[in-house]
Amino acid sequence: MRLRISLLISRLAGFLSQKILRRSGETIQGKVLLTLYPNALATLSKNRSIVLVSGTNGKTSTTRGLAQLISQLGTTVTNKTGSNLDRGSATMLMQPSQYAVLEVDELYLPRLIAQTHPRAVLLLNLSRDQLHRMHEVQKVADRWRTAVAAAPDTTFIGDTDDPFVAYALSAAKMSIRVSFGGRTHSDGAVCPSCGIYLRWTNTNFACACGLTNGKADENRAPGPAAYRNAELANITGAALGAKPMTFDIKSFERAVEKTISGIPSSIRLVKNPASWSEALATVKGQNIILILNAREVDGIDTSWLWDVSFDALRGKKIIVCGERAHDIHYRLHVAGIENTQERSVASAFAHFAPTDHVEVLAAYTAFTQLVTP
Amino acid sequence: MSQLRIIRIHNELLGTYGDQGNAEVLAFRAKHLGVDSTIIDISYDQLIPRDGDIYLLGGAENAAQLLSLEAMKRDNTLKDAISDGAVLLAVCAGFQIIGNTFWANDKKVDGLRLLDIETNAGQTERCVGDVVAHSSVFNLDLIGFENHAGRTVLGTSTEPFATVSSGYGNGDGKTDGAVQGNVIGTYMHGPILARTPALADLLIARATAQ
Repeated sequence: MRLRISLLISRLAGFLSQKILRRSGETIQGKVLLTLYPNALATLSKNRSIVLVSGTNGKTSTTRGLAQLISQLGTTVTNKTGSNLDRGSATMLMQPSQYAVLEVDELYLPRLIAQTHPRAVLLLNLSRDQLHRMHEVQKVADRWRTAVAAAPDTTFIGDTDDPFVAYALSAAKMSIRVSFGGRTHSDGAVCPSCGIYLRWTNTNFACACGLTNGKADENRAPGPAAYRNAELANITGAALGAKPMTFDIKSFERAVEKTISGIPSSIRLVKNPASWSEALATVKGQNIILILNAREVDGIDTSWLWDVSFDALRGKKIIVCGERAHDIHYRLHVAGIENTQERSVASAFAHFAPTDHVEVLAAYTAFTQLVTP
Repeated sequence: MSQLRIIRIHNELLGTYGDQGNAEVLAFRAKHLGVDSTIIDISYDQLIPRDGDIYLLGGAENAAQLLSLEAMKRDNTLKDAISDGAVLLAVCAGFQIIGNTFWANDKKVDGLRLLDIETNAGQTERCVGDVVAHSSVFNLDLIGFENHAGRTVLGTSTEPFATVSSGYGNGDGKTDGAVQGNVIGTYMHGPILARTPALADLLIARATAQ
């Protein structure tokens, strides 16, 4: 009874938020629900197969792909907008379904695992991101591992080439360890399990304590993050009985084609050293706009710009803008990569003509603004 | 001096918070000032060279901080180079390492004792956010970003690197870092030399004045 009333009030709050504030109303519903009925996640997860997706990068696109796979099996709800804290999940679970595929923030994952008793959890990767909030990568990995150990009925799927994922998975009773090979990890100099210097042989690690990316359950060929995430989605789907799908890898890149101020553009989300490196590797053309913000969800510290090699942009026409344009302008300038700093996104686009094609790499808040209709 | 030698120590361990950029800014400013320079990266397995002019340590997580300290304790090179007049800029975890003692993974650890400071484990909230400060030692306004749990107390042989007008600094919200001769420690990321390139110029001036 109490849950029913709480649901009613939450829906009303969502409705008012849509009508009056003209927002999506997604977050507010879950927020109200969790305030009125703190146990809502657990109650609404009963008699439903839950699949969670977490990691530093690729959560939103992988969740979208995985939801497509799972919806072959039955009615499925999923959080499409990247609202990935406990409230976003609560909102999605307010709708009845047989399955729920939920993207979950790295810090909220332990709580979601404990409350929703998921059938499967996909752990994509872990690297430095929003350190003002995450503080230390190791601490996030420690929390993951504790949560994994406390969920013996859940199947954990993960990419063990990432030492932090391998470490979390090593506590699982049921797991599918996937290895692609072909890459190292920029935060992988220390063994997350025992703290000694982690020795890599080319792209493999095998610590004296036993932590390794060898002996995987599933091996795949190396490739970019978008491809790896599509493979991981298929492996996770298969664990629940879904038939594998052939995905357009582009849909896993979080890239959007759109004409802005009359200029045909492809806009890609970049938010930390790992996602910048992935995105820079795909840059093809000569026309580049970089947008840097540092609001809460972007990460309020921009020091990490110095962890990224921008060499791929050398010699291109580069315009930088955003609230922290100066930080990226100076970082490129010191690297000897000439670029022009602009005051606004509109004035950045004014450097190009409708016959050009521009590749835009944008921080989270800038990306959201550009791609939202 | 034929060439300014910038030694970036254990970047793979002390590179979590972007401080490796300090080396790049030093080399960039040196070029601007007409000083030939080179950046030498020293990894965990390598010995630290004695003939550096500016040595750099950056911020790190606990386990990495302990590994870096263990590697630097293999010999006295850093101490010897400093007594010869080399400059050392140490940030965050690197700042704590070069003090008398600090805490990591719930243990009190003996540092390198290049700075007369002690760092205690933070009992309360973590110090995270933008820092605005003024260094009277260098006569410079400074901005940076801090992200640390430890609280640092200065001994009698050191003076504060800067007075803080916004932020936690050493933990009391009053001072940040410490200076003892050519050894400079701070909690400020940014990286600090990218935020205030004038400090890079002053470090280069000190290192080339030997």
